[in-house]
Amino acid sequence: MKNRIISRDELAQLIDRLVERVDVYAPVREKNGANWGKVGSANEIYLEAVNTHEPAKGFLFPRCEMILKFDQSGNAVEPGLPQEQVVFGIRPCDARALMVLERFFTSEGKTDPYVQARLEKMTIIGVACNRTAPACFCLALGNSPHSSEGMDVLLTDLGDVFLAEPRSEKGEKLIAGLAEAEVKHLERRTELKERVESEITGRIDTTRLKENLPKMFDDPVWERLSLPCINCGACTFLCPTCHCFDVTDETVRGNSARYRVWDSCQFALYSRHASGHNPRFNPAFRYRNRVMDKFYYTTEQMGLISCVGCGRCITVCPAGIDIRQTVATLLSFIDSTER
Amino acid sequence: MNRSEILRRRAKELLSKGEVKMVVGYCASSQPGVAQPFFATTPEQAEQLIFDATCSQNLANFLLKVKNIGRVAVVAKGCDSRSIVVLLQENQIQRDEVHILGVGCEGVIQNGERSVSCRVCEYPNPLIYDEMLGEQAAQQAADTAIRMADEDFTRLTPDERWRVLSEEVSRCIRCYACRQVCPNCYCPVCFVDASMPQLVGRTHNISDNMVFHIMRALHMAGRCVECGSCHRACPMGIDLMRFNRRVAKIVKERFNAVAGIDITTPPALTRFSPEDAQEFIK
Amino acid sequence: MPETAQFEPKIVAFLCNWCSYAGADLAGISRMHYPPSIRVIRVPCSGRVDPFFILQALQQGADGVLVSGCHPGDCHYLTGNFVARRRFAVLNDLLEFCGIEPGRVTFAWVSASEGERFAQLVKEVTEKVKKLGPNQKLKKDR
Repeated sequence: MKNRIISRDELAQLIDRLVERVDVYAPVREKNGANWGKVGSANEIYLEAVNTHEPAKGFLFPRCEMILKFDQSGNAVEPGLPQEQVVFGIRPCDARALMVLERFFTSEGKTDPYVQARLEKMTIIGVACNRTAPACFCLALGNSPHSSEGMDVLLTDLGDVFLAEPRSEKGEKLIAGLAEAEVKHLERRTELKERVESEITGRIDTTRLKENLPKMFDDPVWERLSLPCINCGACTFLCPTCHCFDVTDETVRGNSARYRVWDSCQFALYSRHASGHNPRFNPAFRYRNRVMDKFYYTTEQMGLISCVGCGRCITVCPAGIDIRQTVATLLSFIDSTER
Repeated sequence: MNRSEILRRRAKELLSKGEVKMVVGYCASSQPGVAQPFFATTPEQAEQLIFDATCSQNLANFLLKVKNIGRVAVVAKGCDSRSIVVLLQENQIQRDEVHILGVGCEGVIQNGERSVSCRVCEYPNPLIYDEMLGEQAAQQAADTAIRMADEDFTRLTPDERWRVLSEEVSRCIRCYACRQVCPNCYCPVCFVDASMPQLVGRTHNISDNMVFHIMRALHMAGRCVECGSCHRACPMGIDLMRFNRRVAKIVKERFNAVAGIDITTPPALTRFSPEDAQEFIK
Repeated sequence: MPETAQFEPKIVAFLCNWCSYAGADLAGISRMHYPPSIRVIRVPCSGRVDPFFILQALQQGADGVLVSGCHPGDCHYLTGNFVARRRFAVLNDLLEFCGIEPGRVTFAWVSASEGERFAQLVKEVTEKVKKLGPNQKLKKDR
């Protein structure tokens, strides 16, 4: 696959052409930054923010999705197939998260048909990060602000032009016909990559975490760590990889619809059994669950850490909790008990 | 000595003498401008306590969480102390279980701005406390722009009001951060989780979102102390204080009641008067 | 427009068993005419009426809601309607604040002997809701 370069004008034209055919979603200006919006033209796109307020998971796994309609006579209607859409301007952490979600929803030989349908109709054009925010920590987990995982094309802003690197057939077809990239472009990209990567200095020993977290399950350290947590769903809902859901039926005067809606392991009733027993009645257990899921359970289930280091849970937490601090406390605890 | 220093000194004394098992306060978080609720159980830990304009959470919320620890001290701003009064009135905590460290508050600052609730605050100093840590805060002039905006809003047509508010709550993702951060929301099973019968839908349908916010505001009538914690906790930046200010205004004008300022007066919606106005009833 | 002329509002009426429901009964027995717009739900007391009932009625597509109980001082359970009065006052003001048109949700005190008054009340409420048109706000579609 050939790396190409695309000028700002060419990029605007490409987007305007796409907008005529399909729905294009991109970061748009919002009160305190940027968030996803459907764009009608390239000049609505806003790439100056480090990242969008909400992650891109809603494109694959919407907050609320109608999966069936039925009436009292048993006439059922399934939802129509999703439309083609382009997700433009996604950052490497969020694109990696889409890959994690795809892995989750197609794991153990089962495929979620709704997620699968959306994925097939989606073109993902990412933009590399040339700067980070204080809460970013993708590199701490071995990811990179210039990674192209989960994307069809990765664009890197070199200043005068964008470098366009295809990562799939879909991506290659999209940028075919553009001028090829030269060595100087790739060198400039390397320069930018090294500069931005130097902004994230922390490192998390995910291997040691993975090995020791299961041993710490019953440790009283979780009671202490979880004290400031109020068990709202903010972190889980704004996390690009959190994927728990509930299925709920609602009826209005005889017409019913079945919805899949986001759920959160932080909600008290999330783990309540039909018998009434709730293994995570204690809020500390719910806090523990999220940390263990991100850094251990998903490694067992899917072979990867599902935290991508986007930092949204840190900035959105009403109690100012920093998952990096939690993990550091756990690691130092592991250190002190090992000695 | 500033408030933080007095707080640290007193917290250390209370902990080392065993007068309290824990001091519930705030500490710095990893983010500048953001404080975290902090639970000091030793004099060494008490060194991390702070009190300043970043201390945004209503700590009364945590009193219910740490109920079984024993006697606790809690840092209380004016609004937090009113929440404590409401919790005492509702028998959720006992007076002898808490040692209230009152602090005067000049307002919480979030994202560089004084929080909406603080701009119209009428109770910057605690109304109930065991000791005051430092100076009382001066009563600041209320932000008239907010009052005027509220009045302008009432002059809109019903359709316009519905449009503005439904647009506001359309952003609601039903994460319930507002509910979780509120000291008044302590129901073991919240109405949103009720099934058989289901009281409100779980999708973020506009109708259900409005019902959630209307009903939560209604459940707060006579109890909400307008601390603004819910407003600051909302990850989607919804202006929740509009609902809360309105409900507080309704309760004040109709029943001459303000939540949490007088422990001897039960919350307005737990009592009634044969003389209550009924001009709206046919 | 022809549609508006044929608009027959659906109004859910929560009537307390001891006074308002009996009053409605009296209207019926006395063959008093009133518009067939109300769908009656009998409750033991106006104090039983949870604001959720009112909101859910609107969500399910009711064009209007009527809640009626005993006159203050006459409650069969002594204080139920006093409790309700405060609750309804806050709900009424809050609904109006949110843009639910005045007249969509109506509260009333109707005693068991006020059959004619009940009929008149239903006429008035129906007229009012007809003028407001079908309820669109809070209505859930499926």
